[in-house]
Formats: sequence, structure tokens, C-alpha cells
Amino acid sequence: MSAVNTWNSTQHFWLIILGFCVAFVPRFLPLMLFTKRAIPEWFNEWMKFVPVSLFTALVVKDVFIDSASYALILNHFSEMLAAVVVVIIAYRTRSMALSVITGLVAVFLLSMFIA
Amino acid sequence: MNKRRPNPKQVTDPNEPLWRSTLRVAMPLNLSYIPIGLACGILLHAAGFNTLLTGLVSIMVFSGGAQFLIATMLTINSPLLSIVLMLFFLELRYALLSSSLSPYLKGQPNHFLFIFAVSLNDENYAINYLKFATDKKWTGKEALMVEHYSLLFWAVSNVVGSLIGSTLKIDLGIVNFALTALFLYMIVMQIKNRLTVVICLISGVLAAVCMMLTKSTLGLVISTIIASLIGFYLETTLRKHLPDSHWLWKLRGPGAKKSAVENTDE
Repeated sequence: MSAVNTWNSTQHFWLIILGFCVAFVPRFLPLMLFTKRAIPEWFNEWMKFVPVSLFTALVVKDVFIDSASYALILNHFSEMLAAVVVVIIAYRTRSMALSVITGLVAVFLLSMFIA
Repeated sequence: MNKRRPNPKQVTDPNEPLWRSTLRVAMPLNLSYIPIGLACGILLHAAGFNTLLTGLVSIMVFSGGAQFLIATMLTINSPLLSIVLMLFFLELRYALLSSSLSPYLKGQPNHFLFIFAVSLNDENYAINYLKFATDKKWTGKEALMVEHYSLLFWAVSNVVGSLIGSTLKIDLGIVNFALTALFLYMIVMQIKNRLTVVICLISGVLAAVCMMLTKSTLGLVISTIIASLIGFYLETTLRKHLPDSHWLWKLRGPGAKKSAVENTDE
């Protein structure tokens, strides 16, 4: 791969600064707001469901959504099967390291057999 | 500190220094960051970023998704504004992450929140959320250390990736699956009752539909908000009207540790 982009380092630098701003504000403002005032009970109850919803959405994005066109893809069989393997390993062992390593090995092996 | 009983998960050595016990918690993430960080560095190099700026972007933006997006959009020569806008939508989900961590960071001074927010991202959030929810001794200090360990491994892997850039070719799909596996593990650890499984399914379908409709990761934000609201509504309704509903029964894996499961009802 050769560099196809014509930007210079100054432009890259400004991209980083702007990228930092848009990355930082959504991370900081809620922390700032919600750690200072009393959090209503319903908010906590609601937030309990955020991680599981978000992680599922991220997995669906990784396995079923094309990263360029955002079209649905249903033929990533090696990822799908490896995902099942990871869930089983995670459920049985409760080990993060083991789950990730098994997942990588599984997707690598499966992708050799299923194109 | 001595008044509290040691967590059954960490029986190894009660006198273990803090930097080592937090490093142990962060290590699986750190290791999975190495291949992804290398891949990201290689991509940024291909997109024209020099090594210094690759290091800078991995510290200042510190988000695998965002950096992959930057690299992809630069290679297709997108204008600055559209890259920044895409980044903004991609990073909006952090508002949800930091909202859900805020109950555990109450009373921390502003400068701490500032530093904590700078190095927050999906993966170290996942670890810290789990620790906050299951380990009563886990505080902002430990959480920040986990963030910084992951930041260190991420930045170094990016820089190394940038340096070896032109000489190496790797299959990104396979490397990226390390993160997918990490999220899958987190989902499994989050599943507390049958209702959570239902929410997972709803969230998955919603995520696919919303991303196809919005053609961006904004769909992630929308689907997460809707799915978590549905979960919140269903649970509140069930608890009120059918407190014995089997949907609220706890699920427990064969290797489940007590502390990892029974933290819901207090």
C-alpha cells in the first residue's frame, strides 16, 4: 500500500486536535454532570441496560455490518461460528483472556476452511 | 482497607502492590490491544500519518474505531469536516459509557474526571464497569490505572505498527475479531437473568436496522438508547406486576463466581 493521501503533517495535526475535541466532549460532559448531582433512581436502573445493549450492538456491527457501506452481510460464517465458540468459552470459563485467545484461534482456523 | 474481606477472586496475595493487581486486571485487554494497535499503526502509516502523529493520535483520540475510521477516510481523500463529523457520531456513544460509570465516580474532583475522560474508551470501560459492579474495593484510582495501562499498550503498539508499516501485511478482519471476542465475553458476563438475553436479541436486531438506516455508527447510539430503554421499561413493569416472573430468574454459568453474578439487587 502506498500513501494515496495528499495531506501534510500540519493538516494531520489539526485533524488530531479536532478529533480529540469530538472524542473528549461526549466522554467528559456526562461524567461532569452526573457525578456532581444526585442521580435519580430510574436513571441508574436505565443505565444498567446500557452496557449489554451497547456491546451487543458493537458485536452486530463487527459481524453483520459492512464497515464501508453499512449494508447487512450474512456470509461471515467464520466470524459467526467463532462468536458462538467465544460465547460458550466465556460462559463456561468466565476468563477474558481465554475467551479472546480462543476466539482469535477459532476465527483464524475457520477462515482457512470457510472462505 | 484491612477491615474488608479480600475478594474471593483475588486470593493470590493480599499484599500484592496496587500497580500489579490492576495490571493483572488490565492484562487481557493490553494483550489484545497489541495486534489491533499494530494493525492500526500500519493503516495510519498507509494513510500518510508519520510516526510521531500516529503516537499523538493514539494518545489523544485513543479509540480503535475512530483511528481505523480516520485511516479509511484519509485513504479515500475525504474532506476534513466530514471526517470530524463522522468521528463525532462515532464518539457519541461515549456519552452513554461515561453516564453509566458516573454513579461509581461520585465525589471525584474535576481534574480527576478530566483525566479519566481523556483515556476512557470502549474496552477499558468494559473492564472497569465489570470491576465496579462486582468488586466493592474497586475505586476511581484503580479504574484510572487500568485506563492508563491500556493507553500505554495501545500507543506503543500503534507506534511500532507505524514503524514496521510498509513491511508487513496482516488480515484486519481476523485481528479485529479480538475486540469482537472481548465484547462477546463482556455480554456473557453482563447476563444476569432471562430478560437480559431478550434485551441482547432486541439490541442486536435494532443495531443492524439502525446502522443500515443511518449508514453510520450513529445507529449504534440510537439502538443502544432504544434497547436499554426497553430493558428498563420491561424490568420495571415486571418487578411491579409480576415479581415472581421467570424472566427475572437469575442465570448462572457453571464456572460462575458468586460475586460476578449477585450484584443486581442492592
